Amino acid sequence: MKLVWDEFRDAVPLVFHGNPYLGSIIWFTVQVAVVATAIAALIGLPIALAIGLGRFRGRRVLHVLANAGLAVPPVLVGLLLYLLFVPTGPLGSLHLVLTRRSVFIAQTILAIPYVVALSAAAIQGLPPGLLNQARAFGASRVQLSVLALREARIGVIAALIAALGSTLSEVGAMVVVGGNLYGYDQTLAGAALFEGNAEHYEDAIAIGYVLMVLIFIAMCALGLLQQRGGGIRMRFRPAR
Amino acid sequence: MSAARPELRPPLLRCEQLSVRRGRREVVHGVSLELRAGELVALLGPNGAGKSTLLDALAGNVPPAAGTIERHGRVAIALQAADLARRGVLANVTVALAWWGVAREERAERAREALRAMGAEHLCERLATTLSGGERRRVHIARTLAVRPDILMLDEPFAGLDAEARATLLEDAVTVLRSAECATLVVVHDRAEAWALADRLLVLIDGVIVADGPPRELLERPPSEQVARFLGYDGSLTDEDGVLLTRPAQVILDPDGPLRARVVHAVPLEDGARVELELEGGRVYATAPHPAPRRHELVRLRIQGGARFPRAGAGSGDGRSGAAARVHSVTRGE
Repeated sequence: MKLVWDEFRDAVPLVFHGNPYLGSIIWFTVQVAVVATAIAALIGLPIALAIGLGRFRGRRVLHVLANAGLAVPPVLVGLLLYLLFVPTGPLGSLHLVLTRRSVFIAQTILAIPYVVALSAAAIQGLPPGLLNQARAFGASRVQLSVLALREARIGVIAALIAALGSTLSEVGAMVVVGGNLYGYDQTLAGAALFEGNAEHYEDAIAIGYVLMVLIFIAMCALGLLQQRGGGIRMRFRPAR
Repeated sequence: MSAARPELRPPLLRCEQLSVRRGRREVVHGVSLELRAGELVALLGPNGAGKSTLLDALAGNVPPAAGTIERHGRVAIALQAADLARRGVLANVTVALAWWGVAREERAERAREALRAMGAEHLCERLATTLSGGERRRVHIARTLAVRPDILMLDEPFAGLDAEARATLLEDAVTVLRSAECATLVVVHDRAEAWALADRLLVLIDGVIVADGPPRELLERPPSEQVARFLGYDGSLTDEDGVLLTRPAQVILDPDGPLRARVVHAVPLEDGARVELELEGGRVYATAPHPAPRRHELVRLRIQGGARFPRAGAGSGDGRSGAAARVHSVTRGE
C-alpha cells in the first residue's frame, strides 16, 4: 500500500510542476479522446438511428455486426490499419503509419461500435407507440431522429461514456499502427505501457493514476449529464 | 362553418372494397365506407376483428392490399398507446404541432386551447412521466385535437382506464368531439362507449363491416343474428319459425308473466344478481334485484322486445318486422 501511495505522491509533482513530457501526453490523450469520440458519435449515431428507426432489410445484421465490433481485439484493428497504411499497402500513399493521425483513426474505429451498438439498443427500447405517433403526426426523419435521441438520451450518453472510455484506455491498436513513439504519439495508456515495458514501474503506475483521474473526471461530467436526464435542449422545426 | 347536417356534406374520407394485410394474413376484407365532416362514427368490434388495422389503413399508415381510399384533407390519428415524450405536457402537445407543421408562434396557444378543451390545462407544467393513466389519455387526445385535422381518428382512446377515469374522460371527450367540425372515427371496444359517443356505429367482425347505422337503431333492430349477439343479445329461444334473441334488459322477472323458467345460474352483482334462466326453447339472461331467485328456483317472466331471426333457409329476415311480431306474441303469452 505504501508503494502505491508513494507512486501517486511522486506523480503529483510531475503534473503540477509543468513536466512537459507528462503535460504533452495528457494533452494528446484528451485530444484523442474528445476527437475520436466526437467523430465516432458523428458516424455512429446516424447508423444507430437507422438501425433503431429504420425499416430496411439487413438492419438486424447491422446491429449484430455492431455488437460483434464490441468484442473485436484492438490489436487486430491495429494490425489491419497497419497493413492498410504501410507504404506498400492500399492506403500507403496517405503516409499515415506511425503518425498521430493514425492514432486518432484507430481510436475512432474502436469507439464506433460502442456508439452504434449501445445507442441502437437504447433507441430500439423506446416505446413504439411514441415513435409511431410521431410518424402519424407527420414528423420528418430529422424530427423523428431528434425525438429518438432525446428520448433515448440516457442510453445514448451511456454509449458515449463507453466510447470515451475505450478511447482513453485502449492501447492495442494505437501501439501497432502509431508505434507508441516516446513523446510523439503516446497517450497516457500507451505511455504507461511504454514505461512498464522499460521496467520503470513507478512511472508507469504514476501515469496510470493520472489516467484514472482523467477517466474519473470525464465519466463524472458525462454521468452528471446523464443523471440530469440529458439536459440537452433540442428544438423542433415544423415539417415543410 | 357549414350548418348543413353531416349526411348532406360531401365525404372527407371514402374507401371502396378496401382489403388490408398484416404480414401475409388479410385482416380486413372488402370494406366500403364514407365519413363526412361533422360526423362522429364509432367502429366497434371484438378483439382481433381488424379495427386498428382498418384505422391504420384509412389513416395512410398501412398500404391497402386491395381497394381504394380517397381522403379530402389531412388525417390525424391518435394511436392506442398513449405514449408521451419524457418532457412537459405542454411541450408534448407543442411538439406534435411542430410535427404537423404548425408555425412556431401559434403552437403554445393552440396547445393550451386543446388541453383546456380536454380538461387538462392544469397539467401544462407537469412532466408527462408523472401523469396518471387517465391524464395521459387526456393529453394524448388533446394533442390530436390541437392539430385540427380534417379527419380525426382515435384508436381505443379509453383503453386501460378504470371505470371512474373512463366515465369522466368519456364525458369530456363526447363534448369536445361533438363540437368538432372534422369527420371523426373512433375505435371502441366497449359498447357503452359507442352509445355514448357516436351518431353512427360501424360493427366490424372478422374484418368485415356487418352493420352500419345509428347506434340505437342497430341495438333495437340488429341486421343479423351475428350482430345481435355481438351487441349483447345473449339469450336465445328457438321455435319452429326461427330464433328469438334477447338482452338481459328485455327479460323481466314478473310473477304474473306468461312464461315459466328455472334458474340455472345466479351470479351475485352489486344490486342483485345476473340470472341464467332455462325455459322451453332455450336460455335467457336477466338482471334480478335483491332478493334474487336462487338456483333451481322456478320463476315467471315476460320478454319485452328482442330480435327475431328466421332459421336458415326459412325466408328473409333482418330481425325487424319478425322480431316485433314475436315480441308482441311472447309478451302476451300467446
